[in-house]
Amino acid sequence: MIAVVREPIDPGGLLDAVGDPRAGAAVLFLGTTRSRNAGRTVERLEYEAFETMAVKEMRRLAAQARRRWPVSRVAMVHRAGVVPVGEASVAIAVSAGHRAEAFEAARWLIDRLKEIVPIWKKEHYRGGAVWIGPQQGGPVALPGRALAGAAGEARGAGAAVGNEGVAGRRRTARARPGR
Amino acid sequence: MQVRLRFFASLRERLGTGMVRSLRQGTTAGEAWEALARETPALRAMRVRFAVNEHYVDPGHRLADGDELAVFPPVSGGSP
Repeated sequence: MIAVVREPIDPGGLLDAVGDPRAGAAVLFLGTTRSRNAGRTVERLEYEAFETMAVKEMRRLAAQARRRWPVSRVAMVHRAGVVPVGEASVAIAVSAGHRAEAFEAARWLIDRLKEIVPIWKKEHYRGGAVWIGPQQGGPVALPGRALAGAAGEARGAGAAVGNEGVAGRRRTARARPGR
Repeated sequence: MQVRLRFFASLRERLGTGMVRSLRQGTTAGEAWEALARETPALRAMRVRFAVNEHYVDPGHRLADGDELAVFPPVSGGSP
């Protein structure tokens, strides 16, 4: 299951999609929309997707993960459109024979998704809205597509159900100076 | 040659969803963007990535007749 959807994500659907009797582990990651970011109250989030390319890039990532780890199945779903605060905007499920590779692959997949899958986030506050991510600086070369390093790169694989958290705050902080 | 341009996110808000452009044979993705930026100087400072026919390309990628060139800001999560 690889999709961009406009309705709420059903985490159970992803777990069903990665169900495999040979798998001894299934990891589910949910990225949920935060009510506060960089000290501002977020009223809602809006995601814009280049949908056909986003699906292709997610399929490519899933295939890479399967080559890199002994993973059984991968499911990736991203919301597009308005996502109310507190709901999942992205979900990734991975099943594998054992938990280590399921955690590592899920961690790697969400990190790569946020770098290369063409979906953009706009935060709406009272009295304004801002696109998240660097918007200034001229043309840039293509994002790294090589499989970087060893499997050990996916560190801290404990985030089974988390929040978009720190990375989002960093991004916003960087997005500011150009405005 | 004819190339279809598509824009997303902050670029879509400035330029609309897209347009068809006639370009000189051999024009690169980066040159096509520079031509637009000459018409709309505010674009020059924008950080953009290019995709041709739904695959990421470098600015030096040469376009072909009938290509679809998508121009968009780095993905929201595009952090090191």
